[in-house]
Amino acid sequence: MTPATRARLRSLTVHAVLFLVLALWMVPQIYMLSVGLRTPAQAFDPALFTWPVTFDNFVMVIRDNPLGRIFLNTLVVTLATVAIVVAASSLFAFAAAVLRLRGVTVLYATLLTTLMVPLASLVLPLAILLRTFGWVNTYWGLIFPYAALGVPFGIVILKAFMEDAPSELFEAARVDGCTAWQTYWHVALPLVRPALVFVAIWQFIVTWNEFFLALIVMTEAEMKTLTIVPMQYSGLYMSNPGALFAVLTLIALPLVLLYIIVQRAFVGGLLAGAVKG
Amino acid sequence: MSVSRAASEPAPPRSRLRAERLYLFALPAVLLFVVFIAYPILWVAGQSLYTGNRASETWAGLANYRAVLVDPTFWIVVRNMVLWGAITIPVQMLIGGLLAWFIERHTHGLRGFFRTAFFLPVVTSVSVISLVWVQIYAPYYGIAQAYLARIGITMVSSPIAEPSQAIYALILVNVWQWTGFSMLMYIAGLANLPGEVLDAARVDGASGWRLATGVVVPMLAPATRSLLLLGIIGTLQTFPIVHLMTGGGPNHASEVFGTHIFRQSFVLGDTGQGATLSVIVLLLALALSLVQIAVLGARLAPAKGGA
Amino acid sequence: MSTLSIERITKRYGALTVIPELSLLVRDGEFCVLVGPSGCGKSTLLRIIAGLESISSGRIRLDGEDVSEAEPIERGVAMVFQSYALYPHMTVERNMGFGLEIARTPRPDIRERVTGAAEKLRLLRLLGRRPGELSGGQRQRVAIGRAITRKPRLFLLDEPLSNLDAALRVGMRVEIARLKAELASTMIYVTHDQVEAMTLADRIVVMNAGRIEQVGSPLDLYERPENLFVAGFIGSPAMNFLPGRVAELSGRIALIDLGLGTPVAVPLARRVEVGDAVTLGIRPEHVRVGAEGGSTTPEAPVFTAPAALVEMLGSDTFIHLATDAGTLVVRDSAGRRLRAGDRVPVAFPSAACHLFHADGGRVSADPAPRPALVPA
Repeated sequence: MTPATRARLRSLTVHAVLFLVLALWMVPQIYMLSVGLRTPAQAFDPALFTWPVTFDNFVMVIRDNPLGRIFLNTLVVTLATVAIVVAASSLFAFAAAVLRLRGVTVLYATLLTTLMVPLASLVLPLAILLRTFGWVNTYWGLIFPYAALGVPFGIVILKAFMEDAPSELFEAARVDGCTAWQTYWHVALPLVRPALVFVAIWQFIVTWNEFFLALIVMTEAEMKTLTIVPMQYSGLYMSNPGALFAVLTLIALPLVLLYIIVQRAFVGGLLAGAVKG
Repeated sequence: MSVSRAASEPAPPRSRLRAERLYLFALPAVLLFVVFIAYPILWVAGQSLYTGNRASETWAGLANYRAVLVDPTFWIVVRNMVLWGAITIPVQMLIGGLLAWFIERHTHGLRGFFRTAFFLPVVTSVSVISLVWVQIYAPYYGIAQAYLARIGITMVSSPIAEPSQAIYALILVNVWQWTGFSMLMYIAGLANLPGEVLDAARVDGASGWRLATGVVVPMLAPATRSLLLLGIIGTLQTFPIVHLMTGGGPNHASEVFGTHIFRQSFVLGDTGQGATLSVIVLLLALALSLVQIAVLGARLAPAKGGA
Repeated sequence: MSTLSIERITKRYGALTVIPELSLLVRDGEFCVLVGPSGCGKSTLLRIIAGLESISSGRIRLDGEDVSEAEPIERGVAMVFQSYALYPHMTVERNMGFGLEIARTPRPDIRERVTGAAEKLRLLRLLGRRPGELSGGQRQRVAIGRAITRKPRLFLLDEPLSNLDAALRVGMRVEIARLKAELASTMIYVTHDQVEAMTLADRIVVMNAGRIEQVGSPLDLYERPENLFVAGFIGSPAMNFLPGRVAELSGRIALIDLGLGTPVAVPLARRVEVGDAVTLGIRPEHVRVGAEGGSTTPEAPVFTAPAALVEMLGSDTFIHLATDAGTLVVRDSAGRRLRAGDRVPVAFPSAACHLFHADGGRVSADPAPRPALVPA
């Protein structure tokens, strides 16, 4: 066997094994789609695939449920959170890494400890705080706590990136007459673009899928977000798994599609060293 | 060379006003932190010293802590959290690391496809995942029991309904969801490995297992460290999978901090106990982050530097 | 086009003093080179002039106006950075016009000035590219172009050639010399390379450990170094230094015993005492050597020594002589063919000898009096 054929053989084997593992890995998702495509008679078949398939479930759940409104709620909360996280963390990172303001290092260390604060320990006080603010069942009630919890991670990544940028660039901006704000806007932000994209996508995923706080803050049907509605549908469609899984598929789909579109930029940011040891 | 003897008084400091306005850059992040993280933490710490519901509170000192610590459920939670972290983190690292290695080193055209496909569970809504897995685990009509029966394993009931199995069944779901994340972190680590080092190791005759354990694994240490940190945070955050699949049951067998706090605070309305549990979780997180800092401190030593 | 006057400035970082009281005057239109070994404070001084570093005390005046507290933009300086510091996300054109853009110059004016500068630097065809698509030499020209576009009062260059390879460096040096003539603006140039300093400067400032050792025209520094440091720093190969002792004084002439044959006579400018420890310095091209095995040189020979190493470069021959006081390098342009091991007589013409006291200061008279090019 020549080295070339041995390499081909090895490549084939690796691909075969990877496809096998992937097939196993995808079972839950395939199953979800498969059950959604079943008639009520087939819904309880203990099999991964059944035949024939029907789109009736999808038609029915889209017709019967205000999924559009829920999708919109989720989108508003997520986009606002991402915008605030990107803005607040890049501004802070700029103050720490480029302006090197006195005392900001201490602030940074303090903020960093919140990387480790589990949301579980904050839901109770946040719930009470939001009630005081009158923010229960409002978008702000989710946006601000999400942003506060997301900012430390953004700061860690953006600060590392800004520190890696050559300091002479920021000095050149000063010689060119830039104010601190102009340096931030025209020089620092474009320089760390891959990291900004990474932070934005990650924050989007995390916010879109957050469950605990949404469960507590959004109690009115009008205001619910995508992650908390599957629970109520599981009661509603207890005897009709086909309909339930059609809803689940519809709920999961937007983010999956979005990720497939942006994954190149996301992985690109990661490979550019967004996450360091 | 001309020298002017005129001015020798010290220069005054740069414009104060200008420097102070620069702190506006740090303000939004600090404000968010103070209002939505620091204040809630202080509130919860204070509240843990009171007993009763929100209507009538009385000073309790450390009574809440005593009550929490003698509650057997608390110790089930602790056991479950230890199991959760001890199984999830290494298993994800192992599978994720292997996937990363084979995808990065042995695929070319399909690399992007594999990277994306294995990551999809991470971006699939956790509540969707939980309900799908409930169905997979279901007795009679679930596919798990159907396919396991073909290889000779009989499941009488759903594993999440068995007190002795529930937590492991949930951990399996969690591992499945997050392994793609470990894979991506290791892919980033592998991509940042200097190719020359691998070549040098090859020249030195290291290959296969020796190359992996002797060279690659140590050089991926930064990624492993990050995964350990994120894994610990993730463990303490655990809530949706358990809440949606078992609700902490049966009979508290799969209770975790998240569900325990949720029940005490929002179902039973006992803010004192809920706050006490919150403080304990916070202290745990703080202690673990101090350990992390100690590890990072060790890394700064000249002995061995990471990427 | 400005006169810069630096008056008794100091720079401290906490307890560490980087520049202990320094004064300097740079005249309008002058090309002034700050040179010194790495860590001597020359870059810090340049950054202080630019306004990128604050000073702990003292004053900086530009055309008489106190700019000690001013931002770079208020001082009207432009700077060429060592790493060029081009904005990677902007085109060459925007890089060069960015300062004007920030100053809200009207677009047509920016275009005109950028095009003008690009023409001068042969960058017209590259205006649409990004820095990542340029070669090192092209980036260097863009960095200079960015500074020119601004029409600065003061033009600062921080080791601009140190990132170029040797061949490009010579080319860019010529280009900078051309620009210097064309722009006729006040320029301050930092380098650790004495060839750049010697070829470009109207005036060189030699720095060491945060202090100015000497200021003068290139030839001034070469011919009349005021101390051991300048004598050793300027010139390549470096000046030979031989330890000795004042053996005898007769009028304004000192006889120096080097422990190598006959004492050497050196004319004095400052008082020394018999018995003082001194260092005798002589440049390689000033050492005279006689014929191999002979005993005659144009001046009275001091001693004979064997050649340890002979480097023949064609135009010059460098002879490394092994003496009891260490290696003595001789630059010989007479086309003499020596081999290692040959013994030759050596003479030190007293007019070419520099004598330094133990404190490092020069005590000998000017070796070759000639009128100063620039009054210092």
